[in-house]
Amino acid sequence: MSQRELELFFGPQHIGMVGNFSITLNVKGDRIVEAKANPGYLHRGFEKLMEYKNWTQNFPMVCRINVIEPDSMEMVYAMAVESLAGIEVPERAHYIRMIVLELARLASHLFGAWAYSNMLGFDTVAQWAMAYRDYMLDLFEELVGGRVYHIYICPGGVRRDLPDGFEEKVMKFLQALGGHVPDFDAAFFNNRIFYERAKDIGKIDAEEAVELGATGQVLRAVGIKYDIRKIEPYAAYNNIDFEVPVREDGDAYSRLWVIRDEMLQSASIIMQCIEKMPKGKVYTRTPNPFKWIIPEGETYVRVESSRGELGLYMVSNGGNRPYRVHFRTPSFTNGILILEKLLENASIADVGNIMISLYVVAPEIDR
Amino acid sequence: MDNALEKEIKSRFVGIEVFTPQKDRMTIKIRKENLLGIIKFLKDKEFNYLTAVTCVDWIDENEFELIYHLSSFHDPAHIMIKKRIPRENPSFTSIIPIFKNSQTYEREIHELFGIYFEGNPRLTPLFLENWKDKPPFRKDFDTREYVKETYDSIPTLEEYK
Repeated sequence: MSQRELELFFGPQHIGMVGNFSITLNVKGDRIVEAKANPGYLHRGFEKLMEYKNWTQNFPMVCRINVIEPDSMEMVYAMAVESLAGIEVPERAHYIRMIVLELARLASHLFGAWAYSNMLGFDTVAQWAMAYRDYMLDLFEELVGGRVYHIYICPGGVRRDLPDGFEEKVMKFLQALGGHVPDFDAAFFNNRIFYERAKDIGKIDAEEAVELGATGQVLRAVGIKYDIRKIEPYAAYNNIDFEVPVREDGDAYSRLWVIRDEMLQSASIIMQCIEKMPKGKVYTRTPNPFKWIIPEGETYVRVESSRGELGLYMVSNGGNRPYRVHFRTPSFTNGILILEKLLENASIADVGNIMISLYVVAPEIDR
Repeated sequence: MDNALEKEIKSRFVGIEVFTPQKDRMTIKIRKENLLGIIKFLKDKEFNYLTAVTCVDWIDENEFELIYHLSSFHDPAHIMIKKRIPRENPSFTSIIPIFKNSQTYEREIHELFGIYFEGNPRLTPLFLENWKDKPPFRKDFDTREYVKETYDSIPTLEEYK
């Protein structure tokens, strides 16, 4: 029977779609001929809005860019302001920042594990991941008062010191999660069904991944050991001993394994930070927000967010607010060209599989 | 990144300026005809990752500035290649022949700043839909004014009664 080519709108209101995102698919039977990503569903224009607000007002705004992992956004903004204004950060603040960043990475990866396992029908594993993420949100609530948006890493350090007994609670949580790793492995990562559903799905080779600008797990799943924490250590990552997990195959299976291994590394980093953390001040006082002028200049800073390289190019023209900010967000590269490439010739049933394995978060793509 | 690279760039290309404002950061100001040559040269020197393309609107000087950010998988260096272009009928060359992933960045700049990239086959809308106004990220586009005009005209419930 001959098959017509049809245009199919996948999302933003679709059961298999996560987030404010849609894909237009040209399909023949259940094979995808061509896919086009449409990211414009948020319309916030934060880069432009930041040009209207002063240096301090921007600080609670940047975390909104990535809903799932807001802390790396705060970090990159704080680093840019510190670099432009020449602010020194106390040593203890570096360690607290690393703890928060790695907790956020862990929470984000658990959220990712939830989304992926839920999509494959592993409801139990999904609930475990979500429950552990929820414990982490409790930790964040105790630390900063907010569960999702933390507004904690500010230019000059962090907003306040860790509350009493926080380190012990974090350690207790990590031990509980660590004790559960064999269960996660048995039920999900070493499960034959996961292997069958994810192996060779959304496969990309190293050459093509580099050419299309892949970052984060997509790059590490093709065997390229690229991590900003190693290549240009920020905070105090050069004092910490950790590995950058890589896999070779470049498919959804490899990407999920990279995420799993990164969670273990994050836990180890947090433990080392708690052990090595010095005592002392946690912030450098910054000027009155309404009178804060930052000298003319430009800077490009970058951090390793949970999804890959996150960069911020910021220009000051010597005023009380930025002249231009431009975020280089990891989902912007992974979520458009690479997604479109991987969806070619895939089946409709695998759209969610490929999309979630790329670990795209739609708010990051929008400008 | 070492000084050898800086020397080689200076000797190979005419009419460029190279700055190293701090360790592991390099800024190269180029002429338009050098663009593809210098990007190809750096790509062969292991700076084979196009991190981003940024546009800055310098309205007082009546210019747009395009910035190509290049980085490497082995080197902590970050290179910015800069070119200023006039603000009237702005157009520039696409670097898709060298970096395929510049396509999306050029689409973004085309939409938000109205710069046309010769050689980019896909300058279709990325975020906006049915946008008739001037490109919204230009400095002479006032977001607050636009919001006021577009949304403040909706009558409140009391006025509606």
